[in-house]
Amino acid sequence: MGSNGQRQAVNGQRTGARSRLPAKYSALALVKRGATHSDWPLSWRTHELRSRYDVVIVGAGVHGLATAYYLAANHGVTNVAVLDKSYLGGGGSGRNTAILRANYLTPEGVRFYDRSVKLYENLASTLNFNVMFSQRGHLTLAHNDSSLRTMRWRAEVNKLQGVDSEVIGPDEVKRLAPYLDVSTHTRYPILGALYHPPGGIIRHDAVNWGYARAADALGVEIHQNTQVVGIDVAAGDPGKVTGVRTTRGAVSAPVVINCTAGWATTIADLAGVALPITTHPLQAAVTEPVKVFLRTVVVSGSLHVYVSQTDRGELVFGASVDPYPSYSTRGSLEFIEEVASHVLELMPAIAKLRVLRQWAGLCDMTPDYSPIMGLTPVDGFLVDVGWGTYGFKAGPVSGEAMAELVATGKTPELIEPFTLSRFDTGDLVGEKGAAAVGH
Amino acid sequence: MISIPCPYCGPRNSGEFRHVGESRPRPDPQTTTPQEWRSYLYLRANPQGWTTESWYHAAGCRRFFQLERSTDTDEVRALADRNMT
Amino acid sequence: MTSYRLPPLPGEEIDRAQPISFTWNGKPHSGFAGDTIVSALAAAGVRTFSRSLKYHRPRGVLTASFVDPNCTLQVDDEPNVRAAHRRLGPGMTVTSQNAWPTLEFDVKAANQLVGRFLTPGFYYKTFMSPRPLWPAYQKVLSRFAVGGRTTRDAPHGYYDQRFAHVDVVVAGAGPAGMGAALAAAEAGADVLLVEEEYDLGGHLRWGGADELAALAALRAEIRARPDIEVLPNSVVTGRYDHNWIAVLQRSGLRDSGVVERLVKIRAGVLVVAPGLIERPYVFEGNDLPGVMLGTAVRRLINLYGVRPGARAVVMTANPEGDAAVADLRRAGVEITRVVDARRGEDIRRAIGHGGVREVELGDGTRVEADLLTVSIGWTAPTSLLNMAGNSPVYDADAARFRPGAAMPPDVIAAGGIVGDGTTSDLVEHGREAGREAARRAAGGEPQAIQDLSGARHPEVFRADTHGFVDYSEDVSSKDVFGAVREGYESAELAKRFTTATMGPSQGKLELVNTISVIAEATGSLLADVGTTVWRPPYAPLSLGALAGRSSEPSRVSAMHRWHVEHGMVPLVAGQWIRPDSYGDPQAEARNVRERVGIIDVTPLGKLDLRGPDVSRLLECVYTNTWANLAVGSVRYGVMCAEDGVVFDDGVTGRLGEEQYFMSTTSSGAAAVWEWLENWLQTAHPEWQVHVTPVTTAYASINVAGPRSRDLMSRLVEDVDLSGDAFEYMRVRTGTVAGVEDCLMWRIGFTGELSYELHVPASYGLHVWEALMAAGAELGIAPFGVEAQRILRLEKGHFIVGQDTDGLTKAGSAGLGGLVRLDKDDFSGKPELVWAQGTDAPLLVALQPIDGTVVPVEASQIVVGDRRIVGRVTSSRMSPTLGRSICLAQLAPELADPGTTVTIVRPEGGTIDAVVMASLAQVDPDGVRLRA
Repeated sequence: MGSNGQRQAVNGQRTGARSRLPAKYSALALVKRGATHSDWPLSWRTHELRSRYDVVIVGAGVHGLATAYYLAANHGVTNVAVLDKSYLGGGGSGRNTAILRANYLTPEGVRFYDRSVKLYENLASTLNFNVMFSQRGHLTLAHNDSSLRTMRWRAEVNKLQGVDSEVIGPDEVKRLAPYLDVSTHTRYPILGALYHPPGGIIRHDAVNWGYARAADALGVEIHQNTQVVGIDVAAGDPGKVTGVRTTRGAVSAPVVINCTAGWATTIADLAGVALPITTHPLQAAVTEPVKVFLRTVVVSGSLHVYVSQTDRGELVFGASVDPYPSYSTRGSLEFIEEVASHVLELMPAIAKLRVLRQWAGLCDMTPDYSPIMGLTPVDGFLVDVGWGTYGFKAGPVSGEAMAELVATGKTPELIEPFTLSRFDTGDLVGEKGAAAVGH
Repeated sequence: MISIPCPYCGPRNSGEFRHVGESRPRPDPQTTTPQEWRSYLYLRANPQGWTTESWYHAAGCRRFFQLERSTDTDEVRALADRNMT
Repeated sequence: MTSYRLPPLPGEEIDRAQPISFTWNGKPHSGFAGDTIVSALAAAGVRTFSRSLKYHRPRGVLTASFVDPNCTLQVDDEPNVRAAHRRLGPGMTVTSQNAWPTLEFDVKAANQLVGRFLTPGFYYKTFMSPRPLWPAYQKVLSRFAVGGRTTRDAPHGYYDQRFAHVDVVVAGAGPAGMGAALAAAEAGADVLLVEEEYDLGGHLRWGGADELAALAALRAEIRARPDIEVLPNSVVTGRYDHNWIAVLQRSGLRDSGVVERLVKIRAGVLVVAPGLIERPYVFEGNDLPGVMLGTAVRRLINLYGVRPGARAVVMTANPEGDAAVADLRRAGVEITRVVDARRGEDIRRAIGHGGVREVELGDGTRVEADLLTVSIGWTAPTSLLNMAGNSPVYDADAARFRPGAAMPPDVIAAGGIVGDGTTSDLVEHGREAGREAARRAAGGEPQAIQDLSGARHPEVFRADTHGFVDYSEDVSSKDVFGAVREGYESAELAKRFTTATMGPSQGKLELVNTISVIAEATGSLLADVGTTVWRPPYAPLSLGALAGRSSEPSRVSAMHRWHVEHGMVPLVAGQWIRPDSYGDPQAEARNVRERVGIIDVTPLGKLDLRGPDVSRLLECVYTNTWANLAVGSVRYGVMCAEDGVVFDDGVTGRLGEEQYFMSTTSSGAAAVWEWLENWLQTAHPEWQVHVTPVTTAYASINVAGPRSRDLMSRLVEDVDLSGDAFEYMRVRTGTVAGVEDCLMWRIGFTGELSYELHVPASYGLHVWEALMAAGAELGIAPFGVEAQRILRLEKGHFIVGQDTDGLTKAGSAGLGGLVRLDKDDFSGKPELVWAQGTDAPLLVALQPIDGTVVPVEASQIVVGDRRIVGRVTSSRMSPTLGRSICLAQLAPELADPGTTVTIVRPEGGTIDAVVMASLAQVDPDGVRLRA
């Protein structure tokens, strides 16, 4: 019989030096360890918080962890601390519906997200962690001619950037997703869709853990349960960041990167930087598992809903952000009512499927449905925020670009359109068309 | 579905309303600068906690009004002075 | 087959006079009314009901209740039925869900042999390369998917929703819940009592004589009170913000043909009285068929008359476990050993293949048994309280979590979930809660109710061996140890990595055991590990119930029937259904240019504006000048948001000194109304303007073509229609086809002499038919939206949202003098001032060099290295010009007339086009308009 406190802690190897590379994951290694009943080592270590780092990253979600990984892997910058007020990957990175795609509206958007998809395609072998990217195809349904025209716009821009997208008709839609009702007598008939074969779904936790493990192996320190409560900025014009204060002590650092979602304003306020962000909950829900019947990702802009089915058989749903700003992740009844109603419009046969749980993450919404990346008026304080409902798919490319910015001091061309100063100059990005439920 | 205390209709389900948002003073268009105008257009305080904000009773009395809400807990309370400024 | 059915018992819920036939995996079976599917099968000796997710281990009854993880079966076309809760129905076709080829011999059970390799998260460590094989690996992984079947063309079924207005909702009708409902009703409250099981009573139902007597009395009292609405076989699935409660009603609906009903309530107070859920014990072999919880055994015996086995070992740590021993004896089960955890006794493992055969005790002795019953503790289902913001606290003395202190005033916990006691203790606690609930619902200040303390209970979580902590996810305590060792040591990380608690039982059976193992593995106290967050719904909730009846209204005009009868091709335009055409839009357009046509434009947004300050409002929202608009005149205007982006356009006319009539786009009508109210209420409350939406108050008809004056003169009596008297851009009020108070204005969206009529809606059809009749000899024909689009394109009139987008400022839209930057102030002015001289795209007209090619709308315009410099926004074949024409957004450096641009064709290749001198390609000087 077991009771608490009478067994020894088993984490003997929590701290200390270790070899450069993590224990390699492979089928052979699985067999070896299984046969010998031996344990896998720690995926990431815990550390004491030191008093100084070259770079402090606030937020251990996919953006923060990817930035840390690429700083170490691409630029040899390893004196990096990633701080998170809770467990790693517990914010938006652990709450999203894990849909990846590159079929955006603007040329700069397409190039940006396509780079991310390409990084995702190779991520499992890069990180030696199976992130389970299933490129099963992504359908954005059009229910009126205005929407069809937008799909055509996206398809054309995609093709000109070398990204595979095309507009297809209802018959082809039906072939790809047989449970969809493509008859003409529905309230919102399906007139066609934007079909994007490289899009798909991924195991979001695996991406977070994969980056964490690989970054840790390269010497990056991940500090969970370490909340940033202050940012020190030395006076001047411009001001200059000198460090952060946390619940576990103070740290000095010349570079502090805000990689939070939901807390972007809170953290930026600490540095005295104003952002054009409002924070809204984005809800999601999952059903009980049933035998697999849906093999592509289906999105409907007009019906404000998106749905995919995992290999375990659960349907995962999402819709638009809540209509008013809130920091609550409690979830609402009207969300699952609306999603259910719209999903049944699309697929009437699954009324008996049951919702098992619902949750929410926090989305930082910007005026032009595009992120805010790069420099701020405070020297050394960088942002990778404003990710709205499209942040997870951009994790790798953002990490890669932010790492390059920190290491070289120069903003990569790929992220120039997303500068904070665009809200002063009025040069907003044109992605509004693609983000109408953007998933 | 939170309950919004409309000052004219009483407590009603939030689905009847449209959230308008933080009220920010409109700069004088004659004298404003691009930076000041765009701060008005785009920057938001976005607090975690109590905030004063405007709502529009779209499916009811069609009035704009302000109230106080905690963005943490979604507790709502009426504003003492119900005039919009 | 041996029958395990016992002779009748006093509290049984089966009716032996009503046999029911059904099939199980193709074989015929029979049970009684009141049986659950599982109790009927158990009575027939069935022991294996499913195969587990990963290892495909045979599984049997564990809890014999809704949350039993092993009893999820397919019933007819319904997947994932909780068969230990669902009552038998005649003719049911019941099958197991994830075994192949049969439940008894399952090929995938071979997984068990490789189990040591299939540790949680094993898939993260492999299947990475070669990448092209990943889809094949996926197919392998999806074999592990467990779950019932859906069918593509299954009938939808009829689901319903209802709003209830009650003071007190009581979740759970055990002794405390019934007490609460009665006391609340006695105190004057309207009460809704919701119970998950088919009958009220909770654990009293399988109790002894005393409990059954108390139960009968409580049931009678409740039945006698009409102010308590009872919903059995229903469940409170969520407590949302501000006590917004969702209840899934499953019973009492058969007569109305409703499958399920979702009841929504803004409750005064919610009383949460769900009792306790028995917790499984973690030991090797704890998932073998024949291993059951004490409550399972008591239910099977007392409710359904089923003997659960022949020879039993019973492990008990509490009085309910002791009562299970007594029930087993009474049912004729031979008890070979009672293991009492209160005396430090323990079991080590259950041994058997396909079912329990032996039990190894803590001291190493082995005892033969085909049934092992464990009663080692309870879990409080605090989910509804968590949803209300309450955090449960671990009470080590009572060995379970109990509600925390901080509770919102509109939620009260009562009964077993709070603490322990006799039946009358629980009823009394419930009554106190109910009284207080009624008081608070009536507006009383919240007062605390007496606490119910937890009885001492030994902390019994895991034996000396490893066993399953999550049956539905096939996660063992060994797996949790492994996860912690790899660094996934917080409750959340361990849950995500192992997937423990993420299965169909929603964590009710799994969470506490998982946390206790994490505590062991990290050397912490259970209380310090914390829990993962309970998320709604409390019980699984069907999509059908959530959707209810579809209520997506569509809007049609008064002339709709006429359009349908005359062959309209429907167009879904937002909420409106309108004629896209009547079969040949090119011919319809030609007819407008040559003779006369009429189009139903009722969806046009319309607003009536009155007051002395209307012109001030118009100056504010439109970019052009309005102060000088004379009575009887109309003007076209464009509205911008404060960032200068065009968001609507329309025509506004002045009908009187203080009376105006504004039109907006169809999709913008509501937004413009709100926009005007915003300015009036918040920026200029001192202005006196009254706005009334009249979109549907008027049917609107556009009469267009060179013969339109001729046609109008046949129907209009009291207005001088001659060209000098009624000029272009003027408005008149008069009588059309005998209908008074019709508005007519001369505007020219189509570019022809035309009149837009706004007729009181109930006369719309009459006027339409009168026009068709009077116009017959003039060659009249109706035209639809498509023809209108062609005509307006020929005239270069842009459509907001099609030729403009979310970034188009007024300066880019070819509006020229319509933007009066000399006005003091109007919405969007500052940005429009600063936008001058920037390189924003401009709207231009194009003619493809090959006039037979009609470029697809949204085709991209490129230069050199496929760099995008614009796009085609509107494109049609022009019947008037006999060639294709377009509007496009184009980079300003290419927008000079005569420039050749290259359009990429979606089907491949390119086509060149020339920029035209003006947006209007037909009658650019507007001569026909002004006839």
